Amino acid sequence: MKKLIACAVIFGFMAPFPSRAELPEPEVVATIGGEDVYQLLPIGTIPAIDDPEFVSGKKADRQMRPEEPVLGVVIAGEARAYSLWQLDAHEIVNDQIAGSAIAATW
Amino acid sequence: MLWRNSLIMVDRETGTFWSQVTGRAIDGKHRGAQLEKVEAIETTWEQWRQAHPDTKLLKKSEEVLGSHYQSYFDDPEKMGLFRAQWLAERMPGKTLVFGASIGPHAVAVTVGALGDEPVAATLGDTPVVLARALDGRVRAFVARVDGVGIVLHRNQANGEVTDASGSTWDLSSGHCISGPRSGSRLESVAVTPVYWFAWSGFYPNTQVID
Repeated sequence: MKKLIACAVIFGFMAPFPSRAELPEPEVVATIGGEDVYQLLPIGTIPAIDDPEFVSGKKADRQMRPEEPVLGVVIAGEARAYSLWQLDAHEIVNDQIAGSAIAATW
Repeated sequence: MLWRNSLIMVDRETGTFWSQVTGRAIDGKHRGAQLEKVEAIETTWEQWRQAHPDTKLLKKSEEVLGSHYQSYFDDPEKMGLFRAQWLAERMPGKTLVFGASIGPHAVAVTVGALGDEPVAATLGDTPVVLARALDGRVRAFVARVDGVGIVLHRNQANGEVTDASGSTWDLSSGHCISGPRSGSRLESVAVTPVYWFAWSGFYPNTQVID
């Protein structure tokens, strides 16, 4: 079985998606360690990226602004960058690098 | 889903709940399992591209011109669905900290406190050190070699990090690259960049270095 790895960055609750005013009342779906788990949106509403495609070189530059924030990882000598502006809308990328399954989460 | 004001992830295979802050399964079939953390860096495209010319970039299917969370990042009062209940009074909840933990013991170092000089802390009985590697990543290590504690300092002239024995350490890998301890390697401790309101919810007794 492939190892599942989380690659986590700055979190804390992101602003509701799509906007606070349009959200239904949060529902308590479980209580763990005495603290409630709240569900705001049905699972899958924020679509994870499952079959990520990659570009490099000039093609990559054309998709990015120089100041655009990225999450960068290097695994087994292979560098990958994920635009944080793009991850805002997806929050999780289910990826594979060098035979390891990783989840880039934001 | 949210727990302790932080994201809960769900795997499709089993529906297990995973905490994004800790990487631990908090409920479901895999409860108690721990995901391994990968060292990552948050930087700009320009800097990343310069450091890694061959990098691959997650392809965009459409143009993305900014963050739709910008107002969340900018507003110091926006920090979760509910009042951050633990140590929010210790410092503003949106303060960005670098968190490290060993078992129940945790330390949070603010961005402001992490300058050039490595920062020492003790987690339970274990001495640790947090520092910025030359590539900008913040890393933490167990500050001990063969059972002996070490204290790291950065040479302001050349940026090298050394201990009292005169050994020089590469903080991007934890390897000793020259000096009496050449060939030794420090054990890595995962670092989590995180808002204070989230970290303090998981580790209410965390040490704070600010």
